[in-house]
Amino acid sequence: MVGLDTVVFGEVTVLDLIVFAISVVIIVIVARIIAMYLKRALSDRMERVEIDKLVKIVQAVIILFGIWFALPSFDVDIGQLLVVGGTVGLIIAFASQKIVSNLGSGIFLLIERPVKIGDTIRIGDVEGTVNQIRILSTIVKTYEGIYVRIPNEQVFSSDITNFVVNPARRFEYTVSIGYGADAGKAVWVIRTLLDEHPFVLNNPAPSIFVSELGDSGVEITVYIWAPSRVWWAVRTELLQKIKEALEREGIEIPFPQRVITMAGEKKRGTGQGEL
Amino acid sequence: MFGESDYSFCYDSEEVSIRIDPLDGFFQYFRKSGDEEIRKVISGKSRKIVVNPVEPVNLPREVTRFLEVHFTPVAIEPDSSEIVYITFPVEIGVFLESKDDFDVLDIFTLSRPKYSLYGPPEEGVITRYHESTVSGTLPDVDRLKEGVIALSLSNASRNWVEVSRAVFDCSSLFLYYGHCVSLVARMNILSRDIADIRSEDRPLRDGMKPSILVIKARKTLIPDKIPFMMEFGVGD
Repeated sequence: MVGLDTVVFGEVTVLDLIVFAISVVIIVIVARIIAMYLKRALSDRMERVEIDKLVKIVQAVIILFGIWFALPSFDVDIGQLLVVGGTVGLIIAFASQKIVSNLGSGIFLLIERPVKIGDTIRIGDVEGTVNQIRILSTIVKTYEGIYVRIPNEQVFSSDITNFVVNPARRFEYTVSIGYGADAGKAVWVIRTLLDEHPFVLNNPAPSIFVSELGDSGVEITVYIWAPSRVWWAVRTELLQKIKEALEREGIEIPFPQRVITMAGEKKRGTGQGEL
Repeated sequence: MFGESDYSFCYDSEEVSIRIDPLDGFFQYFRKSGDEEIRKVISGKSRKIVVNPVEPVNLPREVTRFLEVHFTPVAIEPDSSEIVYITFPVEIGVFLESKDDFDVLDIFTLSRPKYSLYGPPEEGVITRYHESTVSGTLPDVDRLKEGVIALSLSNASRNWVEVSRAVFDCSSLFLYYGHCVSLVARMNILSRDIADIRSEDRPLRDGMKPSILVIKARKTLIPDKIPFMMEFGVGD
């Protein structure tokens, strides 16, 4: 029969364990209350992301200190505890390899930092914004607003594409103009429009050139560098503006077209089809 | 336009019109500049606003904290110093004041914002870009559009160095306003590729007032005031 004074290991009894568990619960509650007050007190003084970071650090420090102060209630030799802890750790590790693997991956992710909170990323098939990086999993909010929890082991072993880790990003358009239009003028119209846009970077400068003589028209390729944080907004805005600017200057954007010469017309044209 | 005022504040010019009108027990802030019109309802009892130049990295939206000024190349001989005057774009901040605290009500600019990249795309920084002429004396500028930087260039290297750009970290900028908007800065050139640059907390002339900056009004954590290291070159 297990009683409160039953010895678990060393001189630690079940009662000591219960006292320790209650202490930890109280510490966690205290840490949460302090976190709540910190959030309230700092809400109008700091950015939300910074408050969250600070609160997590404060909580971690309180809990660690709490556990440290609660440990003497065991009255145990730390060395002995480490041995027991190590053994228990091994058992837990074997019993829950996935969790340990996720934990290890989480630690490596925190060290390597391939993604940060707020980054726009693609991990495997999931694309969106990183909402949280926890010790066991990473939370991504997809572009459709869907919550996706990815175990850190999967994050760590997947291909990670971070769309915003570099400060600038390039995108391109291909614009087709009619063969009758002045390609030089079209390039000038597009360049002027890009020069006026604040987020089309001055350096690296946009590149605009005739890239192909296509079936239906002359193709102009436009390379644009924009700050990574706003590149999508710039990309969605500019193509319409380019179309409107070219139309204002009387530069036709052609439909796909094919010139068909009828055999009879050809003969008439050469004077051979006349009866 | 610049300075502290109560809600009777009114400014009207060809380019910008600002006023605060009573509205159903509250007040309504109105600003029109270009095609843009802003209306905001204000409550509260302090009834004080401050209008002053702010760091030019907030519009059309904040994407960086760095300002890059590109100017006519200046050749500096080894172990020498030179003070040059260049210009920078001005954004104007309207702040609500209460108990020695300030909150941003509105930010606008009469100059056209343009951004650039200083350094390579993988490790450089996005900058608010501005082109300026260089002058040995205080240039005459429209203080609603441009400010003046008194930039002290010190060449600590063993070679002549051609300087044609300066990058400022706006989180540690000190702006003053009076007859003009001013910034005093020092660039210590270590080589053609590396220079450190810092803003000094002093006005260009006596009697100028310090500006309230957006980064401080928003209570963003401000990094230590270490000089910004220009490590991707000081010339073209």
